[in-house]
Amino acid sequence: MANVELALKEATTVIEGAIGAALVDYTSGMALGTLGGGKDLDLTVAAAGNTDVVRAKVRTMEMLGLNDEIEDILITLGSQYHLIRLLRSRGSQGLFLYLALDKQRANLAMARHQLKKIEAELEV
Amino acid sequence: MTAGTAATGAVSPLLTRLAEERATGALLRDRGTLFLEDGRIVHAESPATPGLEILLTAGGGLTRERWREAVDRAGARREVARFLVDSGGLAGGELEICHLAAIFDAAFFALSPGSGPSRFRRGATHWIGSVRPVPAEAVERETVRRRELLDAVWPYPLLDTAPVVPREAAPGQTVTLRQRALLRAADGVRTPAALAWALGRPAFHTLLDVRRLAAAGLVETPREPAPAPAPAALPAWMTQAQPPDVALLRRLRDALEASL
Repeated sequence: MANVELALKEATTVIEGAIGAALVDYTSGMALGTLGGGKDLDLTVAAAGNTDVVRAKVRTMEMLGLNDEIEDILITLGSQYHLIRLLRSRGSQGLFLYLALDKQRANLAMARHQLKKIEAELEV
Repeated sequence: MTAGTAATGAVSPLLTRLAEERATGALLRDRGTLFLEDGRIVHAESPATPGLEILLTAGGGLTRERWREAVDRAGARREVARFLVDSGGLAGGELEICHLAAIFDAAFFALSPGSGPSRFRRGATHWIGSVRPVPAEAVERETVRRRELLDAVWPYPLLDTAPVVPREAAPGQTVTLRQRALLRAADGVRTPAALAWALGRPAFHTLLDVRRLAAAGLVETPREPAPAPAPAALPAWMTQAQPPDVALLRRLRDALEASL
């Protein structure tokens, strides 16, 4: 029964290589909470911008007629991973968890697994 | 008024001042009320938005009975939020997320430019109790961002208040699940605010969805109301430039030179 701040704290401390995390409402682009980031990565801007990524993918799936849900989206940069995990089981609001990872230090498979666990805790 | 007020280019100078004073009470405006505690926003409501009860119950996370029970039993001591979580009716995360959505949604309308003068009732609190306070500055910043976002998507503010009229999709054009639900509820009579209530979604989100759908051609963009009839033309002798009175100008120049 974690709250937003706890979930983000867990994401940035438990997950190896985490640079910052945000919980984002992807209709409005508002970050409901952010942690970490810093001057090199403005999480509020990243939150707003990545809503376009999510909405584009949702639309594409509709076009393809794929009757499925997005679990996560991975964006690989030269030095970072950006991981977007969509929260299900929310009737009224589309939310996603956004996690930026240092590519050198992160274990991607582990990070995805841990993010899934944090999502579950946030929703219980 | 303090110097800091001007620096933020505030949405509401009064709100900025109250935040600086770490005031507690209710900031009342025509289109909504913000509740402050130690200068931070702890709750907000607006007649334009569905509010926390609807957001919580529409998603299926909470039954209306549970909500009513919490209000009955903990409303008087102003601890409804805590009661909902402690009684196991609702997860803390879910409450917090919906409560934040409700605050920012109501604040957007309460702080809108046409929301009239502000009054502050010092000491007033809300029965929902304490969930997660938000800095006033964050609320103001988000309100401005939302205004700009609406106009960036499709700059037709008339859409926000007019009945939503769906249009047929072009061949191959698809909409998302959320948008489809909105279009299905749009009966040509409901405004975006009415749709927000019907769907149990934040009102701002509905405004934004309607603007996006209008931009995609899936909702009619209402035409600007006919321009007001031009005011009766003034007679020519009032508007036409008169030739300068050369004789008068000469006399003025002579008089000025004479006094040098």
